[in-house]
Amino acid sequence: MNALLEELKEKLISLLNLSDIRPENFDENAQLVGGELGIDSIDVLEMVVMVEKDYGVVINNQEIGKEVFSSLASLARYIESHRKMA
Amino acid sequence: MKTVYIVGAGVISSLACGLEATEAALRTGRSGIGASSLFSLPLAPELPVGQASCLSEKNSDSDDMPRCHRLALLAAEQAVAMAGEKPRTLVVGCTTGGILTSENFFWRDDFFAPENESASFNAHVKAKYRRHGLTTVAEEIARRFGCPGPALTVSTACSSGAAAIALALALLRSGQATTALAGGVDSLSRLTCFGFHSLQLVDVAGCKPLDKNRRGINVAEGAAFLFLTTKKPRQCLGVVAGAGLSCDAYHASAPHPQGLGARAAMAMAIQDAGLKPEEIDYINLHGTGTADNDAAEAMAIAALFAAPPPLSSIKGATGHSLAACGGIEAVVSALAGRKGFIPGTTGCREPDAALGIRPQLSLQEAKITHVLSNSFGFGGNNAALVISQVDEGATALGDALADAENIADNFLAVYEYAAVSGVGLTKETLLSLQSGQPVAGRIAPERLCADLPQRAVRRLGRLTKLALTLAEEAVPVATSGIESIFWGSGWGALSETYNFLRGLAESAGRFTSPIDFVGSTHNSAAGRVAIEYQAQGKNLSFSGGDASFEQALFAAQTMIGNTEKALLLAADEGHDRFSPLFDPSIHPDAPLADGGGGFFVGRDRRGAKCLMRLDFLGHDDETPLVNLCKNSFGVAWLTRYCAAIFAGIPQARQAEGERRLSEFLAEFNDMPVLRHRNLTGEFATAQAMAAALAVSSIEAAHIPGALFSDRRDDTILSSGQGILLLGFGTMTSIVRLVKV
Repeated sequence: MNALLEELKEKLISLLNLSDIRPENFDENAQLVGGELGIDSIDVLEMVVMVEKDYGVVINNQEIGKEVFSSLASLARYIESHRKMA
Repeated sequence: MKTVYIVGAGVISSLACGLEATEAALRTGRSGIGASSLFSLPLAPELPVGQASCLSEKNSDSDDMPRCHRLALLAAEQAVAMAGEKPRTLVVGCTTGGILTSENFFWRDDFFAPENESASFNAHVKAKYRRHGLTTVAEEIARRFGCPGPALTVSTACSSGAAAIALALALLRSGQATTALAGGVDSLSRLTCFGFHSLQLVDVAGCKPLDKNRRGINVAEGAAFLFLTTKKPRQCLGVVAGAGLSCDAYHASAPHPQGLGARAAMAMAIQDAGLKPEEIDYINLHGTGTADNDAAEAMAIAALFAAPPPLSSIKGATGHSLAACGGIEAVVSALAGRKGFIPGTTGCREPDAALGIRPQLSLQEAKITHVLSNSFGFGGNNAALVISQVDEGATALGDALADAENIADNFLAVYEYAAVSGVGLTKETLLSLQSGQPVAGRIAPERLCADLPQRAVRRLGRLTKLALTLAEEAVPVATSGIESIFWGSGWGALSETYNFLRGLAESAGRFTSPIDFVGSTHNSAAGRVAIEYQAQGKNLSFSGGDASFEQALFAAQTMIGNTEKALLLAADEGHDRFSPLFDPSIHPDAPLADGGGGFFVGRDRRGAKCLMRLDFLGHDDETPLVNLCKNSFGVAWLTRYCAAIFAGIPQARQAEGERRLSEFLAEFNDMPVLRHRNLTGEFATAQAMAAALAVSSIEAAHIPGALFSDRRDDTILSSGQGILLLGFGTMTSIVRLVKV
């Protein structure tokens, strides 16, 4: 789980070009969407594509998506549990 | 004021081909949405689309005319046949151009495979892409009908068709056009179909506008044009009574949640037509069927209309044909008035009560005089038109008209200017240019938007950063009061387009980047600048090949009001693979150049550094250049006031350009000439950089002799003197820059 969290930090920084933060400063419990990072709906969709491409986990429901992308930690938990189910 | 009559119309959609068939199809309430036969990707989901079935899938093997061009020609032919004359001016809204054909070649030739990443590969396939650019659609129509005037290409995403008609209206009212063919066209393409899908905006079960279960759009294709004239006809389909353009300045792809921009555009169109909201008989909604659009549009209508008139969306019948829909729906609005019916909202079964507006579900006969037609697009671009069944000049004066009539001449006042080139920002670029040194090259990416917080620009591609940098260099946000943005780019956001299509190819259709898709639209740069400046007025993007800057200038000088302040920006990005592939003037082995110019402009001449005006833009290759000048501003200005000529001759037009230039120069003794592409390098908007050089010289009242290859003495400029900026692209352009 920790390895996944660290991996996701690196991935999101590169995917969303958050080049002004470093993985060690990325607070996994902070609000991910609509928070300080300025992540919005287009970024969420970009992350949806990445999650499916890299982890084979599909998030195609807005309600679930809202919960999943509430923080980096919840995204990691969702990927972890759905990867195992697959 | 001049009334603008609709004397011809042509329309093609997934529903039908031609006016009568379109009306008949609307009366049945059927939908043209279904499976596409144009392309398939092995791993991509099946997306229902609106394919124009009246157009054969393939044209003859000897003819590689892209589908978009064929759609446009068909609709244009209908409109021209009905009008019984050829149009002088073309205003075409378009977002796809030849992209479908280009995609076919990319896939067939394995263009994105790493082993094909070479200049020699590009050189080998280059000829196939000669009709990739948006401007080639308008050029094709101009060629077909021999249109001598300008062929303008508006690209404001899904509002393009309506915005094109709004611009044509302004050109006709101001007397800068007498007849115009205006509308929109787009073909289906992988880019748009899978782009909207990546944004989760496609309803795979079929579009249901205003339905409580609506899930999105179905991408479609089509074309529609109005033939417009100011000559009073014996009979007509109606008049374009008013238009309103606005920008949300809110988000790259999502509408303002309360629909503030949509409301402003509608209010402006109604006022421009001299009407009050209660006089509108029918609203043809943008009504795309996405959750956000329909909600924002409904809120805007509820705010503007005490009791909204009957309203409906035809997107469930036609699909969403992007740039074409504004044209198609303008034609349908004219038909609705002429034939007396309100179209139904095909696809909507359970109207969403939460919207607070109730659409007309099935077609109903009704007497209709004034129709309001909405078109909104990415970049927060909103356009609204009023199409009316009045004649005898019964439309009243609106504010915008009064402005247009009061402007004695339409020179723009230039308050500030900017340039970005291979050697750096404005100061560095102009210092080099003024000493006759080349500036060709590509500025390092970290120098673009260096003053903006990284987070604010993290999603932006090179072209949008060039535009924002030019804007910031020309005028700082805080002091500007900028309302409107006029933007030109020959090739648009090549990086995002390339990245999106490569991702699509590499994943066989499975994975595509929504950020790249949104960034790939031609108006994304202007939309982003609008957000930075909170510029909620007109926001027009042009893609007119080598005359993209001139097209944006033409719109600016026509549409800017007496008290309005605007940014006029033009730039292109040099993309390693796409620039040498698409731009006929860029040799596959040559080093790339990019950049552009930016101008803070308005009408008030106080504080102006220079005045600028486009005097001619068009295809009139028969008439000698000197006569074009004579017709426009008289030859006296050339002999008495013109201190130098800056000539932009694109590499691909070298022979013809030099011939016309030397023929022109033969009339004038010893006129200093700068062939500025020798300094700027080859890119479509080099004219904008040259214009910045001209403004800086005029500001300093001093044209350095070092600019000219024959090393002349410096020239001191006095009031009234200026520089003639000539463009020798597919269209000829003449711009004067004059000292106040």
